[in-house]
Amino acid sequence: MDTSMEQDQVPFLSSSSHGIDMIEGEMSSSSNRTNQNGLSTLDEPVIDTIKRDLGAVFRKFGYAVIPRHSSTLLQQWDLWGPLILVTTLAILLQSSATKSSTGVQFAEVFTLMLIGSIAVTVNSQLLGGKISFFQSVCVLGYCLLPLLLSAFINNILLYIPTKSTIPILHIIRFLIVMTAFAWTMYASVRFLGQTQHPNRRMLVLYPIFLFYFLIAWLIILHAHPK
Amino acid sequence: MMFSGDGFLTDKTSTNTNQSQTHVFTSFPNSAMDPDDERFGNQSMNSNNVERNLLPLPATANEEKSEQLHVWQIEYYQKYFQIDTQQVLERLVGSVTPRPNKSYFESTIRQNPDLYGPFWVCVTFILTVAISGNIVNYFHLPDVEFQIDFSRITLSAILVCLYWWLMPTFIYFFFRWHLNRIEYTFLELLCIYGYSLTIFIPVSILWIIPINWLQWTLTLIASLISGSVLVVTFWPTINSDYKRFSAVSMLVVLLAHLLMAICIMFVFFHISDNNFKPKVETTTILTTIRSSSPLSSTTTTTTKG
Repeated sequence: MDTSMEQDQVPFLSSSSHGIDMIEGEMSSSSNRTNQNGLSTLDEPVIDTIKRDLGAVFRKFGYAVIPRHSSTLLQQWDLWGPLILVTTLAILLQSSATKSSTGVQFAEVFTLMLIGSIAVTVNSQLLGGKISFFQSVCVLGYCLLPLLLSAFINNILLYIPTKSTIPILHIIRFLIVMTAFAWTMYASVRFLGQTQHPNRRMLVLYPIFLFYFLIAWLIILHAHPK
Repeated sequence: MMFSGDGFLTDKTSTNTNQSQTHVFTSFPNSAMDPDDERFGNQSMNSNNVERNLLPLPATANEEKSEQLHVWQIEYYQKYFQIDTQQVLERLVGSVTPRPNKSYFESTIRQNPDLYGPFWVCVTFILTVAISGNIVNYFHLPDVEFQIDFSRITLSAILVCLYWWLMPTFIYFFFRWHLNRIEYTFLELLCIYGYSLTIFIPVSILWIIPINWLQWTLTLIASLISGSVLVVTFWPTINSDYKRFSAVSMLVVLLAHLLMAICIMFVFFHISDNNFKPKVETTTILTTIRSSSPLSSTTTTTTKG
């Protein structure tokens, strides 16, 4: 809050015999960010806000898919990407119930991923990592993109009918998901591995491996879409 | 005379301009905590600890507040996770190799029980059991009927966690009330039992193979190996007095271990030979039998056990 006294007002420290001490000034908040046009971000058109935030989200996707040294993902974390990815993956993995077992439901997959992220993050903090809770959830969520792509491809491949006894399509699906899993692991190791002391790095990376492994198996075993 | 920033003694008068100051503070401790009391933190990260000044408190002492940290702060629980990768690997290897004279517990766990190893071993075990159980279903059921059975994860989680927590509870109270000693803290017992499940992780993957005698052999061997590690750990304590308890209690420990393994095998994996038919061969068998005799086709219908 900047206050400035008007020049022609009676100064505060003058003698009190005047009886009236007035202070006037300007209050301009410096907490509003301003974009290049000098407008406060509260005043800018909605389309600019959306474009800026979407641009940030897509840029983070780019960093997660092609890991390069950048602190954007960690320092300017946001949870939009993880939300979109987890929701889409949960929708893709839905399956209908048969008489022998209940299929996977949206809520189950969503809860599983939520609890998995929380468990991995708490584990990293307990081992003395220097990463905050939301930063870790952000990185874990953004790195899910390759697995989501493989789930898409799997769903498309499931619609191809095959009559041969050699399960060639199963093998192809397995290989695609495993490749996506390796890519995801590599990306998250690049980001989360360096936040931890080297003696404990494997201890932190192992739960991340389990988490992504479980998701990869859910995708592989997903046999019949709704 | 006082030390300047690079460690050399300097004349005080050259830096001290204020004549009324009698002494200058040059360094402050980071916190008001007495360094002798410092039990937590990162001081031990770079060394394999052999001696620590932690008293063996039972894990139920969580309700007591320490001087600085409280139960709702995550740093409070860091003391259960003071462990390095190398130590975890040593403990894992030690839990699957029974050595009659040397208890791995004494050499590795006693000084520094941790919760990382047991917890993640149990979680891995739960996950491998659930995934392998689903794979077994995948090969067993025809293609149109298979769905991922999500309830398997919860079922296996309940079974494994119950075993992991109940057995140490029984043993702890047995020691405390029957023998009137606290030889092992609850945390150490949790540690022992958590690490004893290590061998079942590869076994649960091998349980997918649908050969009956192989499954039973794997169960027996695995529970014998990890059970003998448990026995070796507890034997020195039990054997020192109350000799009539020693053999019986060790047998109980072994049997409980075996029972847990058999339960898991039956619930998730066991397919007896007369029920099992892989789905690829089912169609060929059915077509050949149907073409030969319509009556005997009823004997080949698969029944789910």
